Amino acid sequence: MQNLCRTLLGAGAAPARPKTALLTPLASGAAPRVRCVAWETAPLTWKDRSCPMCELFAISAGQDCTACKYLPHFAEKSRNNLSGWGIGFFRDGQVLIEKSSESIYAGEQVHDGFLRLTRVVDSRLIISQVCGPQTGQRKESLLLPRSDQFFHHHWLFSFRGDSRKVIAYQSPRPIMPEVLSSAAGRVLEFIRDGMEAEMQVWPGQNLYQALALTCKRLITDYPGDYLFFLANETVLFVFLNHGEVLLYQPPEARGEALVLTTVSGSLTGDPEHWQAFANADRSRGQILIISGADLLYQGHL
Amino acid sequence: MTPPVSCPCLPPGAAATFTAGGSVSSAAASRWWRSPQNRFYRDGRPHDSFQCLARVVAKPIILAHIRYRSSGKVDECHAHPFSLDFWGQSWLFAHNGEAGAIESYRSRQTPLLEADSDSARTFEFLRDQFAEAASRPTHPTFLQILQEALAGLIRQYPGEYNFLLSNGRFLWAFTNHRQFLLLKGSRQLEDALLLTTIEEGLSPEDWRTISLREGTWGKILLVAGGDLVLEEDLWPLPAYPAISGQDLPSRQSLSN
Repeated sequence: MQNLCRTLLGAGAAPARPKTALLTPLASGAAPRVRCVAWETAPLTWKDRSCPMCELFAISAGQDCTACKYLPHFAEKSRNNLSGWGIGFFRDGQVLIEKSSESIYAGEQVHDGFLRLTRVVDSRLIISQVCGPQTGQRKESLLLPRSDQFFHHHWLFSFRGDSRKVIAYQSPRPIMPEVLSSAAGRVLEFIRDGMEAEMQVWPGQNLYQALALTCKRLITDYPGDYLFFLANETVLFVFLNHGEVLLYQPPEARGEALVLTTVSGSLTGDPEHWQAFANADRSRGQILIISGADLLYQGHL
Repeated sequence: MTPPVSCPCLPPGAAATFTAGGSVSSAAASRWWRSPQNRFYRDGRPHDSFQCLARVVAKPIILAHIRYRSSGKVDECHAHPFSLDFWGQSWLFAHNGEAGAIESYRSRQTPLLEADSDSARTFEFLRDQFAEAASRPTHPTFLQILQEALAGLIRQYPGEYNFLLSNGRFLWAFTNHRQFLLLKGSRQLEDALLLTTIEEGLSPEDWRTISLREGTWGKILLVAGGDLVLEEDLWPLPAYPAISGQDLPSRQSLSN
């Protein structure tokens, strides 16, 4: 913690004012626990608002596990991304998120704080995101993953995509009050609001159906490129209407863990065991449902 | 967990299954009633052991089953849920319905369940289908394998199948001859999801009835984290040919 914060304090051009660091465990309805101090800097450009080059990672397992076997490779493959990183996970029913606005790579080494977290974070579900190569500093509050609470669950959300139009979405319950908000924040709001509306119309509806209808409306009302992970402590949903997600089930440990990433190429020495889920038609999309080490369902919109 | 005090609505000897999600139940803790001399009701009250377990078991998923013999003997080995390991995990299985045709099924896998009943053979049949799928070069989804297995089961061994299958993290429910009653947000268990075959539900609350769609071979539900995550119909063959690589995302030769 101290090392990470020290690194952050020494970084960034002309920090303006520190933003409150949230260090308390997540209670019902509270903000997620986020370590580190963020520094608000220059106004964001358009590139900051989208997330075209972000890379995503997730590991879902039957038991608590670390991602130390995969996350360093994930960082290595994302080394050109300079705009920050985050790791989110579940522990004892709480959402914990660690973020830094520093580059994932410093010189020839993966960020110390990131490496330390890969060793110590153990959870049945870990999501990480390395943000794209935008110029300038990013606001910590815009880094992903981020969390929200709905349907009696805490949810982790990570996003990669490019949609200018979704910025216009105005949620009745905005997550971030900032004037310049991110596409990722708007997408999460749209998904949450849409699923809640679906459930209000038909309370017995299943989560997949609510999510699928909402995603369909998202890509219809706000055409663009979307790829996101949305997870509670039990289930991970993946939606994509562009690009591809690679899935890996360690052959020597079937039933133990499942790894997902958006980086091209595999994160292991056995690329033949990685399975690609690609989506070429932006007007459609697909949803994967994952729980533990199992890919349970693949549905097309 | 819905306490067994809800079960006096059961007609004596009726079969019931229910599960609770959220933070209350356990998949591994329901193999409790193993004596054929034990009956669910004694002196007009639910069995003491059942009541005791209902109070102390607190896990994400619970399965419970009260047997009314339609196949096999009244014997400890026939009490559900059964347990088998496959797909790299341990699974619990509870079934009701009459499916005499499946009693002739002989599994080539081990171990075999001791019970000599349609329920035991059904569980072994499903286990064998997943064992076969594990060796395929492609990686179908769990639901694809389950759908294919169920279509093959119903085609080869026609009968009444109504079961719960869980690995402790999520639960699949299937029926081709009855309906499920589902309650989310009960007064006693706000975050839990309750599922039962008891036609009137387990409480006077507003239980949702999930019935078969006409023309289908059954209804499949996926429950996890106290939520109904997925609801699918099982369509008659040939909607489920053997899963081929063309149906699935192909593995790619990826370079580092």
